Amino acid sequence: MNHFPEAWGRPRDDIYGSYNPQFLPNSHAQQSGHPTTHTQSPIVTGTSVIAVKYKDGVVIAADNLASYGSLARFTDVHRLKPFNKKAVVGFGGDVSDMQYLDRLLNSLDVKENYSHGHDDAESDKALMSAKNLHTYLSKVMYKRRSDFNPLWNALLVCGLSEDGTPFLASVDLLGTTFSAPTLATGFGAHLAQPILRRVVPDEAASKALDKEAAVAAVKECMKVLFYRDARSMNEYSIAVVDKSGVDLKQKEKLEGQSWAFAEQIKGYGTQTV
Amino acid sequence: MSSPFAINGGACVAMVGKDCVAIACDLRLGLQALTVSNDFPKIFPFGSSTYLGLTGLATDVATVSELFRFKVNMYRLREERDIGPQTFANLVSSSLYERRFGPWFVSPVVAGINEKTGKPFICGFDSIGCIDFAKDFIVSGTASDQLFGTCEGLWEPDLEPEDLFETISQALLNAVDRDALSGWGAHVYIIEKDKVTKRLLKGRQD
Amino acid sequence: MASISSFAMPSEAPTYSFAAAQSASGQPRQHGFYPYTDNGGSTLGISGDSFTILAGDTRSTSGYNINTRYAPKLFKLGGSGPNHEGSKIVLSVVGFAADGNALQERLDTIVKMYKYQHGKDISVHACAQRLSHILYNKRFFPYYVHAILGGIDEEGKGALYSYDPVGSYEREQCRAAGAAASLIMPFLDNQVNLKNQYDPNSGPGLEKVQRVPKPLDRTTVEEIVRDAFTSAVERHIEVGDGLQMMIITKDGIEEVYTPLKQD
Repeated sequence: MNHFPEAWGRPRDDIYGSYNPQFLPNSHAQQSGHPTTHTQSPIVTGTSVIAVKYKDGVVIAADNLASYGSLARFTDVHRLKPFNKKAVVGFGGDVSDMQYLDRLLNSLDVKENYSHGHDDAESDKALMSAKNLHTYLSKVMYKRRSDFNPLWNALLVCGLSEDGTPFLASVDLLGTTFSAPTLATGFGAHLAQPILRRVVPDEAASKALDKEAAVAAVKECMKVLFYRDARSMNEYSIAVVDKSGVDLKQKEKLEGQSWAFAEQIKGYGTQTV
Repeated sequence: MSSPFAINGGACVAMVGKDCVAIACDLRLGLQALTVSNDFPKIFPFGSSTYLGLTGLATDVATVSELFRFKVNMYRLREERDIGPQTFANLVSSSLYERRFGPWFVSPVVAGINEKTGKPFICGFDSIGCIDFAKDFIVSGTASDQLFGTCEGLWEPDLEPEDLFETISQALLNAVDRDALSGWGAHVYIIEKDKVTKRLLKGRQD
Repeated sequence: MASISSFAMPSEAPTYSFAAAQSASGQPRQHGFYPYTDNGGSTLGISGDSFTILAGDTRSTSGYNINTRYAPKLFKLGGSGPNHEGSKIVLSVVGFAADGNALQERLDTIVKMYKYQHGKDISVHACAQRLSHILYNKRFFPYYVHAILGGIDEEGKGALYSYDPVGSYEREQCRAAGAAASLIMPFLDNQVNLKNQYDPNSGPGLEKVQRVPKPLDRTTVEEIVRDAFTSAVERHIEVGDGLQMMIITKDGIEEVYTPLKQD
């Protein structure tokens, strides 16, 4: 026994000889001589993504910040990724894993276009819907978590399903999936979701909601998130997906901020003098 | 299973009826999985119509019940009358909070009828004296989850004494049968304005 | 100082496999990846003489958050098309929802392949044993779910099987699973299996005669299920929003949805 816990239970070189790296997976044997290692924590991260279903489509938003811990590292990172004119994926969590998934989705899109043709109404019908895309992503995420090599993201997938009804669903790093009229990841689940549920309490309310009201609710939530989420910023991307396609804006600024409430805050909230 | 609340096991429940209350407990005393005694009642009378149920660490159950026997005797000597359930509840609460940073590992339940108003009264506490004034029922002990289920399913308002007895007995017996640390028979008290009925129930012996 | 000098100095320490890789990640780790989560909720199944009822709430949770108010935990197995027409077996899963969905998809495919290969529907008995094997096959990285399988057996009687996460299973009359199982199960013992109930006309003491449980009719069972869930909703925060019930008879599956409290 020695004082190096990391050595406990491992074969000692002086007794067994050094490890033969040939037994490692091919990809690792030559390069590093060390075993495969997996993500244990996210590095550069994006914060909340929020989305609402309305009567003819979905509105989704995420800010343009990629943080490195508490450092606001990259301020022009677009976390809403459109897919084949029909869907948008919003990414929270690790940005490098987002970029991996984006590359994966682009190659998938290219394959889809090769097999179905593109840029005409008839072949567009055969393209993957947002629902198909969500199923695909959920399998990718679940496979990776089952391999103990997760993609450290929370995703919102939005668009239309085959029958033309608005579609909104989420997947996370564990492969957990769920769908609701309003969804929010990260801090947004605490701060934005209650506001959105007030506007859209159920599926019926979502069918009655028009585009303007949906956009207004989402913008209001982005503002609240900027007030209280320390890993957020005031420039964001917002996309509206309906049967006419994706309308993505990537340089929106928060409007009508009021920091008047900040003056009232003393201490941690209960302090009065 | 090293929580002091779950070493000895035990369950207690109180319910409100129409002009009556009921309180019941199991009889098991154990050391983890080993049953040591099947005659360890957890309900203690404090005057004519005030009852205290105590579950949790058995040594504290014994000590705390003795402590309140002393305190209630002192009260009776000074006031020359029995303590009422509300007054007793406040005594329990303040006595538990005195030990805020080294608590008795007990979850008390109080049940009784107010002598002056004739109104039924029940309440429960956490181990540091926070009172839960419930209008329907109070549960405590290692079978509390099970008791919540049975009570919520079986209880209804304004039960007559005999129906209340059947309800609380079924609630307790079926709950402790799904808890490995509780059971081995039960004591049930039905408290009316000027009558208290104590019944001993034979439950599953396993 | 003497005690310090008695330590083996780092340079004298024996080397070991992957020493360099370990020291690189040897600093305190901030996160480890835990591949499971609990999505809350509860399920319940009761079998009758000619039917089986499975029920589950539709809330999905992450900690204190509600993910959605409608995430079904009941799945029809087999049948044809996306709506499983003609299906007569229902699987309910509660626990880790991602594993639940994966499990449901695997068993559904198996039930469909059975029909394709053998030209007849799989029996609940066979399906139940297959489910046990699927769960046990992942004994060392389990599907973190409590499954209940319901259907009609070869004699036309209601059949209900319940499982632990690693495939140990049993045919039963009734079973509750999930977050509020501990609340619901003793209530079911009392109301379905008539536990602790005695014939009032029997003698005193040891002459008491236990009431004999007899198969319940459908409306009674539906009432018990509703009561069990409304009670669970009151006392468990992870249960609520909606109650999904599937009633399996020889004629197929009837699905009923009723709202539950959303608080």
